[in-house]
Amino acid sequence: MTTAMAAATTTPTSRALALAITETRLILRNKTVAVSSVVLPVALGVFWSFQFESGGDPARQAVSITLQLAVAMTMGLYLTATQTLVARRHTRVLKRMRTSGLSDRGLLAATLAPSVVLAGFQLAVFAVVNVVTGTPLPSDPVPLVLAVLGGVALVVAAALATSVVTPSPERAQITTLPLLFVMLGVGVVAAIAPANGWWPVLMVLPGAAVGDLTQLAMTGGAWSAGAAGLPAILPALVALVVWPAVFGMFAARRFRWDPRY
Amino acid sequence: MLIATTATVSRLGTVDLMTETTSRAGRAVAPPEPLTAVSVRGLRVRYGDFEAVRGIDLDVRRGEVFALLGTNGAGKTTTLEVLEGFGARSAGTVSVLGFDPATERAALRPRMGVQLQEGGFVEELTVQETLALWQRLVDRPDRPGRLLDRFELTGRADVPVGKLSGGEKRRLDLAMAVWGSPELVILDEPTTGLDPESRTRTWDAIQELQDAGRTIVLTTHYLEEAEALADRIAIMHEGRVAVAGTLAEIVAAQPARFSVTLPEAVVDLPELRGATHREGTRVQVRTDDLQGDLTVFLTWAAARGVRLPDLRAAPASLADIYHAVRTETEDRA
Repeated sequence: MTTAMAAATTTPTSRALALAITETRLILRNKTVAVSSVVLPVALGVFWSFQFESGGDPARQAVSITLQLAVAMTMGLYLTATQTLVARRHTRVLKRMRTSGLSDRGLLAATLAPSVVLAGFQLAVFAVVNVVTGTPLPSDPVPLVLAVLGGVALVVAAALATSVVTPSPERAQITTLPLLFVMLGVGVVAAIAPANGWWPVLMVLPGAAVGDLTQLAMTGGAWSAGAAGLPAILPALVALVVWPAVFGMFAARRFRWDPRY
Repeated sequence: MLIATTATVSRLGTVDLMTETTSRAGRAVAPPEPLTAVSVRGLRVRYGDFEAVRGIDLDVRRGEVFALLGTNGAGKTTTLEVLEGFGARSAGTVSVLGFDPATERAALRPRMGVQLQEGGFVEELTVQETLALWQRLVDRPDRPGRLLDRFELTGRADVPVGKLSGGEKRRLDLAMAVWGSPELVILDEPTTGLDPESRTRTWDAIQELQDAGRTIVLTTHYLEEAEALADRIAIMHEGRVAVAGTLAEIVAAQPARFSVTLPEAVVDLPELRGATHREGTRVQVRTDDLQGDLTVFLTWAAARGVRLPDLRAAPASLADIYHAVRTETEDRA
């Protein structure tokens, strides 16, 4: 055990990056995962981009963009991240990695990062396709940026929380369905729902804020007075903060690194 | 510099050497590296209503191989997980290389290698890819090639881990645990499922680590493994340490035995200190005074001209002690 050894050159960042790169390779190497997490969401998003006739109406175009955001965040990110976390816990890889030089935060970040990067890649593809198909640019890009960032935070926190109640990788196909359908459905409804009446109540559901912010980005008026004289964007912003916090707190209390417990 | 050495008997009944260093002027100087690598006092681990570990004390000295023996569910793996910083304790204090693993795992990680009881591999990665990734994740420098050679995995380097045999996976697991020769190596059943040849090779690797001054804590079901490797042993049963010490100390504390088959005509037996059990012509004696009782028995046999062709005498084996621990607990229940 005294053979000359290579010098240690690892840093916390390089360690997390090494695992993230390996996880990305594994996603792309696994054909089933690659199709369900990359090809299918991209195909759906591109299909909507070409098929959705908005007639140049930004409000209607918001529905198509919301669908693209929702599919990238749910199928591309949430589903993949949950399956990866559960699979790595189930096979005790998370436990093994905790004996390495990775911190717990670094380990989680590295395990989840490939899903986030793949979702980002999907959104970039959608953006290019939307420009090519002549989709009007948002009148206020800030709500759209907030929708992307907040949506990513929401589904990452949701993936951590869902992994708590998912005993095996196979069961992730079932446990992810409720939030997946809610986010897809509510996002679209929020994007087309009128601002008055009972529709703003939808904002209490996870994912509705993404649709609402996309609508505000496309049609404008995010900072003008809405209900009770407050900025129209406020309910969506509150929902974007509250839901990740709720999922995050649940995960922080109940997250398990080892299938034994 | 004066080094005062005193011997004390620990709560486990073993002898601990306490070394105290002072300068000639009587002032305390920088203390030497502590002699104890692992110290556990009053450890309790509870899962809901079930208490898996029920107030154990352990001391593992630097440079020794310490074996935790016990049946399934005895609390061995739970204890190891507390030492590794993975398991939460309900009560007690734990120090590993001077750190509390519950709160200082980050400081402990670079100094400790861990072999899991099972799993822990991304099965799609090849052996080479697994070790190459490990090289980038672990703070201790080492080379995949060295470990592939050492654990005879070079020919399997390009094989996905999922296609390795159980023995090959255990060797890869051990290679990752000893990566960079950490100060403390924790091995959870390192030879379970291995064939005898692979087991011997694993023992050699553990012996090499000890020769390099490393501390090893291992759990095992195999008594011969503990006998072959361990400097000290603790036998756990139902969450408690039933027996602890060196093999010699443990054996000395248990009754020895001798057995013999007598001719049918022999009816009476000599008066012995130990417990005599007779079944037909077969006689077994368990005694704390093997030499004394054996002398009495041989004198008695010689006086009567009784031949004892199959006389066997032996101190208690680890297997005897292990079974005695189980039986005592079951009897109490």
